[in-house]
Amino acid sequence: MASLTPDFRFGNFVASIVWVLFVVLALVTVLILPIIFFTLFYIPLPVVDGQVLTPYLFFSMMVDPSRTLPILQFFMHTTLFKAAVFPGFVFAALIAAVTIFVERKLLAKMQLRVGPLYAGKVEGIFQLLADGLKLLTKEIIVPSGADKPIFWLAPIMFVATAAAVVALIPVAPGWVVADVDVGLIAVFAILGFFPLIALLFSWASNSKYPFIGGLRALHQMIAFEIPFFLSALPVVLLSSSLNLTEIARSQYMIWNIFLLPINAFVFFISSLAELERIPFDLPEAESEIVAGWLTETTGMIYGLIQLGSYLKLYALAGLFVILFLGGWYGPQIFPPELIPGAHESNLPLLQMLALDGVYNAITVNSVFWFLIKTIFIIFLMLVIRGINPRIRIDILLHTGWYKLIVLTFINLFVVLMLIYGGIIGPEGVISIR
Amino acid sequence: MSSLQEKIDEAKKLSLQITKETEDDRLMTLSVGPQHPGSGHFRFTIKVDGDYIVFVDPDPGYVHRGHEKMCEYRNHFQNIPHLERPVIHDSCNITYAYSLAVEDLVGITVPRRGQFIRALASELSRLSYTLYWLAIYGIFLGHSTMFMWPAGDRELLIDLLERLSGARVTNAFNIPGGVRNDIPYNFKEKCLAQVNYFETRLKEYEDIFYNNPLLRQRTEGVGILTKEDAIKLGVTGSVLRASGVPFDVRKVEPYDVYDEIEFKVQYMKTCDSFARAYVPVLDMRESCHIIRQLLDKMPDSGDVREKLQFNIKSSPGETYKRVESGRGALGYHVVSDGTPRPYRVKASVGSFRNLLALPFLLTGSKLGDMPAIYWSLNYWPVEADR
Amino acid sequence: MEKNNTENNQTNLIEVKEEKSNLLSSSLINSITTNFGDQVKLVYKKENRSKILVSPENLVETALYLRNNHGFDHAESASGTDYPADNQIEINYHLGSYSNTDYYPYILVLSTRVDRTDPKSNSLINIFPSVEYHERETYEMLGVFFLGHPRNERFILPEDWADMPPLRKDFRIKGR
Repeated sequence: MASLTPDFRFGNFVASIVWVLFVVLALVTVLILPIIFFTLFYIPLPVVDGQVLTPYLFFSMMVDPSRTLPILQFFMHTTLFKAAVFPGFVFAALIAAVTIFVERKLLAKMQLRVGPLYAGKVEGIFQLLADGLKLLTKEIIVPSGADKPIFWLAPIMFVATAAAVVALIPVAPGWVVADVDVGLIAVFAILGFFPLIALLFSWASNSKYPFIGGLRALHQMIAFEIPFFLSALPVVLLSSSLNLTEIARSQYMIWNIFLLPINAFVFFISSLAELERIPFDLPEAESEIVAGWLTETTGMIYGLIQLGSYLKLYALAGLFVILFLGGWYGPQIFPPELIPGAHESNLPLLQMLALDGVYNAITVNSVFWFLIKTIFIIFLMLVIRGINPRIRIDILLHTGWYKLIVLTFINLFVVLMLIYGGIIGPEGVISIR
Repeated sequence: MSSLQEKIDEAKKLSLQITKETEDDRLMTLSVGPQHPGSGHFRFTIKVDGDYIVFVDPDPGYVHRGHEKMCEYRNHFQNIPHLERPVIHDSCNITYAYSLAVEDLVGITVPRRGQFIRALASELSRLSYTLYWLAIYGIFLGHSTMFMWPAGDRELLIDLLERLSGARVTNAFNIPGGVRNDIPYNFKEKCLAQVNYFETRLKEYEDIFYNNPLLRQRTEGVGILTKEDAIKLGVTGSVLRASGVPFDVRKVEPYDVYDEIEFKVQYMKTCDSFARAYVPVLDMRESCHIIRQLLDKMPDSGDVREKLQFNIKSSPGETYKRVESGRGALGYHVVSDGTPRPYRVKASVGSFRNLLALPFLLTGSKLGDMPAIYWSLNYWPVEADR
Repeated sequence: MEKNNTENNQTNLIEVKEEKSNLLSSSLINSITTNFGDQVKLVYKKENRSKILVSPENLVETALYLRNNHGFDHAESASGTDYPADNQIEINYHLGSYSNTDYYPYILVLSTRVDRTDPKSNSLINIFPSVEYHERETYEMLGVFFLGHPRNERFILPEDWADMPPLRKDFRIKGR
């Protein structure tokens, strides 16, 4: 199939390299330099050591590497970085990817098998990457008669909504993508959008099994939203604020889970139902309705929905940690400086190694404890998957509407009594104020 | 709601005859077909009204291979490999009945050691089949661990069968006249070790699977088949025993050495899906006892096989012999006309008989109960199609 | 009865069982012949099995008698055999009993012979509901039409089966 290589002429080879260099230079001069100069009018450049950063100053970093640190610090605090990388999309997607892998391995160990083993040298580490690449290359089959705009948009909406919920979760004091004063209500409002997406997508699939699955998804998510909201209500009473950062801060003295154990339990169960995880995976019940409302998803559409699903998992686990487990509070185990005395000494290399300016002990400590607690909650959610069969829809609705709502009200009244008695709450004996 | 209840009652009354297809727009026809993760190789059409099933029509035949017709073209030895294909996991039972029938027609008795080995292989096959059935029951209920554990523990028994016969499933171990070969030299110790370990695992199954409140909620009180209905519909095996009839072919009509083995017939009186899912576990425990007694009482030496000619001519006549397989009483009606090939072979398999209970139980139940009821009837689609 | 493992007592055991079941068979056959006289013909009587042959007109009556008086309540199997030499198709019902513990090990074969060119027989579905699927299969495999059965239709064979009923002896498997 391969044609014979033409005779190699060194002159032609040199000519082709010169031609590539010429094209690159021309593009840079004609296109990229004007773009840079246009944008430089609009981007506020950081102030480094009392000077505005200019490209010439930037290139001088090659001489003094420690000058990159303030720039790094500046970029880490821009909105773009926060939304895209750190408490935002890339961070959540990484956690989602690790969760999927850990779930498969953990379930495998519980079920006396090994799970992914061959992709990657060590116990199948690259399995996720392999699966992602495989999904990218699969054909996306749209059923005949399907409502095409909704069919293509619904998975994107799903991921976008899940990312919107992630954007509201603070991981450290000051590190949240969207610091909204009514953060908790915003979370619930965005979560209320998911049943709509499931129903729209199942209707747009034009097939019987997705139809049944979509109706079940609607029933399930709506039935469990009420206990979900109600169990978070006393938290607002205790911290007298809807802002998620404030709620986390108000648990400085005592975590909410010790005051609201029943509510934490109800919140956990409701979040399992919102996430459609076993035992609540009726909308995707495999043995009854093939794959429920996901039946007609193929290829990357399925990949997007899985990604959205696990982003939502991280978001709800993070929300549980913020509301009940004291957010990011934990004993300070990171030293104030990585290498003591690096800031005063003006040795650039030492400052580089100590990440002077970029490393903030409180932030790193907060992120660390937040991650530990979130990982613990995610772990609980994964273990429940291994030991339970699927629930039936009438048992689910019965549980959601009767039992869970009653339990939340019980705990709500207990907390109200305690607040009235002046023991807890903003003016109580045990509070940060 | 009352008109729906009337509809359900009417459908239940006519469940043994055809239910007229209603022209109602509310009903949605679903084909729980062969390409469905919830049905095995079997298709049944259901009409649902919301969440309630109002009409069920089973449609077997996806894996029909015409074993009964093929039997008429092969002699008795050649019939064994293809007759075990309906249930590959339980192959030592489905060929057991055929061997008994042929031996009855030819008029020989199998030597005692062969009888013990045959019974041993039958019990091991039964354990292997029941574990596989239990695994798929777990998957139907959405419990993936309940799939993995029995499937993993089944390897212990498949290993023993492989030592005996050389194959993991479709052993072709029983032939008219006895068994194909003797047991390997260290088989007894291995078998005892593995069966004893397996019995400890059964205790774990009870703790984790059968005491799980969700599983109980889904299967208790669901799909009740009363004793009268069970007898009337003629079901067999664990379905019958879960409805309170203590009928086990090994006890009522002992074949080979089963009259020397002490074991109890396990039955439950609750008649629901949970009982139908639990009786096989009790049966498995009894099988472990039986295996230990068989190994104990087996004569140390002797022939395992009465050597027959390849083209053995069976005397003209007919016979009906049955054994207790994983699904129930499995009987063979063999008609012979004096030639080496049987004139007619009819296999009456437990799955085909239990199929009658499927429309009876599913009509009027919820769609969510469909997997719990359907698979609890111990229905093996390939066997029912033969 | 002591249970020993020696061959001697083994045969003793078999003899005792045979006697007992022969008693059972005898009493059963006696009662049938008393009631029906020579409408019923005994084909064979073995340990725990016996076969009676009735004419197609008397089939329902005999089945009703067996159910009401002797407690046979279900059919273990129902099938047909094609005898082109006699130009007849024989239909066999293997009847068993779950309610009468005396008859637990016993299977009575109730059989009838119908004409091969126009095979019709009365369905026993109203007496033994368990024969529904067996009779349907016999219809499609041998062509015997069961009067009174609600669905004489294709069951196991594929939807596009256009050939003759496969279990007939005229139907040859391709290449054999």
